[in-house]
Amino acid sequence: MLVKINSIAVLGVDVVRVTVEVNIASRGFPSFDIVGLPNKSIAESKERIKTAIQNSGIEFPSSKKITVNLAPAGMPKEGTFYDLAIATGIVCASKGIKPPEDSMFFGELSLDGSLRHTKGAFLAALYLEDIGLRSIFLPLNSANEAAVFTGINVYGLSTMGELVSHITGKMQLAPYKNAAIDTRSKHVSTQDSEVVGQEYAKRALEIAAAGGHNVLLIGSPGVGKTMLSRMFSGMLAPLTQQESHEVTKIYSVTGKIPPGGSLITARPFRAPHHTVSYAGFIGGGNPIRPGEISLAHRGVLFMDEFTEFHKDIIEALRQPMEEGKVTITRSSMSVELPCRFLLLAACNPCPCGYLWHHKNKCKCSVPDVERYRKKLSGPILDRIDIVCRMRDFELKSPDQNVLSSHDSHGNNSEIKMVIDRIYAAHKIQEKRFDGVGTVLNSEMTNMQVGLHANLSVEAKVLLNRAVESYGLSARSYFKIVKVARTIADLGGAGDIEPPHIAEALQYKTSTL
Amino acid sequence: MSEAALFDTVKYKTRKMEPGDSFPESLYPEILRGINSFPKVLFYKGDIVTGLFDNCVAVVGSRNMTMYGRTVTRNLVSALCAGGITVVSGFMYGIDATAHASCVEFGGKTVAVMPCGIEMIHPPRQKDLYMDILQNGGLVLSEYDEEFPPCVWTYPRRNRIVAGLCKAVLVVEAGEDSGSLITAGFARKYGRRVMAVPGPVTSLVSAGTLKLIKEGADMVCSAEDLMRLLGHGKGQVIGEHFVETIENNLNKLSTKIISVLGKEPLDISMLSKILEIDIPLLSVEMTNLSLAGVICEREGMYYVS
Repeated sequence: MLVKINSIAVLGVDVVRVTVEVNIASRGFPSFDIVGLPNKSIAESKERIKTAIQNSGIEFPSSKKITVNLAPAGMPKEGTFYDLAIATGIVCASKGIKPPEDSMFFGELSLDGSLRHTKGAFLAALYLEDIGLRSIFLPLNSANEAAVFTGINVYGLSTMGELVSHITGKMQLAPYKNAAIDTRSKHVSTQDSEVVGQEYAKRALEIAAAGGHNVLLIGSPGVGKTMLSRMFSGMLAPLTQQESHEVTKIYSVTGKIPPGGSLITARPFRAPHHTVSYAGFIGGGNPIRPGEISLAHRGVLFMDEFTEFHKDIIEALRQPMEEGKVTITRSSMSVELPCRFLLLAACNPCPCGYLWHHKNKCKCSVPDVERYRKKLSGPILDRIDIVCRMRDFELKSPDQNVLSSHDSHGNNSEIKMVIDRIYAAHKIQEKRFDGVGTVLNSEMTNMQVGLHANLSVEAKVLLNRAVESYGLSARSYFKIVKVARTIADLGGAGDIEPPHIAEALQYKTSTL
Repeated sequence: MSEAALFDTVKYKTRKMEPGDSFPESLYPEILRGINSFPKVLFYKGDIVTGLFDNCVAVVGSRNMTMYGRTVTRNLVSALCAGGITVVSGFMYGIDATAHASCVEFGGKTVAVMPCGIEMIHPPRQKDLYMDILQNGGLVLSEYDEEFPPCVWTYPRRNRIVAGLCKAVLVVEAGEDSGSLITAGFARKYGRRVMAVPGPVTSLVSAGTLKLIKEGADMVCSAEDLMRLLGHGKGQVIGEHFVETIENNLNKLSTKIISVLGKEPLDISMLSKILEIDIPLLSVEMTNLSLAGVICEREGMYYVS
């Protein structure tokens, strides 16, 4: 008997519909074959499926000729989630029953017949309706991921046996209900906010967090670059629902959602080490998997020791930073991955790190420093909206005001105020870009800049003067207006006034 | 050496002069012949105008120039230019290059003594400055011909020519083991005046100049000091006097900022602590002052220009 089961194949972060055809023939030599370009993990599933079915107390048709075809047969397929679809097909075909209509079967089997948490469940559920299905059967541990969508039936299974009882009508499974989990990271801990001084850098990060602008922090070791960056992740506003779906998709595909996990609501904060490989950073491999820049989608890509990254990796950032997506093309396929991230880069002023230090002697010659800074090429710097130099300060006396944070009572009301301002600025932007697809000021197209960033006459005069005297590029011009827009939003202002432009200029004009 | 270092010889022909030349009149600087190891031949590019070597002062210093060193160099060179004095230096980046560049800017005469063959530009990335010097009537000198590469021993030998050409050597900034101290040493040996600009005792690039002062070098604190030591009366500084006129039009906060930055250069975080003004407000003021040219920013530090 021939049975057809619905499934999917994952291409980057998109899916295509796949039909799993299972035929059990009485005639022919006993065998179990899977065709349709399965990869190693699918080919190996034969043993898992056979053992799992037997251990569930169901008879496996070992004496028959079993043929499984994954159609369309010309497309390479990968993933352990086909286990359940193939097993269901075999059970249905051998028992001569019809599988449930408009349903997808998704999940990896364990030898004892139980179902394991499988990556990609969110994606399967997201596209379920698009490919014309209504129900999805998947492992109980993955059900929470899939159950965020209304209008579809999600059935969480803990064993293969439960499914068979459901299909044969012995027992009716109840659709799974989503239990929302707040994955937002706990609020900024007091310890992280105890970066001493550096008010300038803190203000720069506030603007960056509010408008999604790229930042470069330059400073000697120990001035607080890494600590401020850690604090930064706690300053970000939570994801909107749309953004949350985009991020969860990527995390689901890469298997980064824990068992029982659901939607991701906190902005991702990725901090790859500078030895990261090209494919691991941009995305790639076979099949193509999202890299760090996609994992940082709608969040922060923190590149500590920016200049230590391989030059190719730094230069590869150019287009993704501009377009918010990266297209990875291989001879067999081409995949587009989203990567709208905020780049937070940190580096030293020179190879030894102590060029600006008040006490430690810098051991670098002038050409050394120049060579080091050449790694920060013009095109990359042009894409960074906020450059912030962090100087260490000389501790003159122990009771000097510098050491205590703004609030002398030891509580961090300062940081709470900053976060409130950032959230408020996000709300303003949400309203501004309602339904346009843009989320933050930094993503505005030049046309949108003309539409939403209204400069007062005085502001225009000031900006033109600055462009002339600093020789700014056209891209820089728009970047400054975008940053000024965010500064105005933080202050709740409508039009952009000269002070907003002037402050934005502070972060851009500093020469390197 | 890279090809970029090779100089297009078509426009500026290399000529040479020797101490024995006598017709119609020796171009070889008389003052240089006064040292016991004077070069037997000098190659040069550019024109030797009458009196070029009559009144030379060397302005030398550290490669790791600070903003302070830059400001002082520009200021003192402007006085030298106004006094018609030729500024001699070693074409190295840092103080040397600033001295040459300021001299070109203020329309003075300058001589660059190279540590390498006359057909080379070293350091190569200062090609623009090299061209500026020649285009503005300056002179490039070397005792090595062709593309003789610069090496460890050519630098001190170059320094001996710098000292030998000048009646006085001014060291603006120098580290403790700086090559400028070698130049000063030659100057002392040849009986030339050694002058040094003091700097903060905490600054690494002032250690050498302070050492010179301790050893008896003349201290130069202003353009007047310099010109008096050179026997030029009070002297004058070209330009650079705009701060006062602008200051009248500045608001209260700007005046405060300038007065604080006048004492010591600061970064914006420290400035905000000292003035007790929030960063956003201060940033606005700093941009306005920068655009007005009253202050300037370098590597995160703000200076009164």
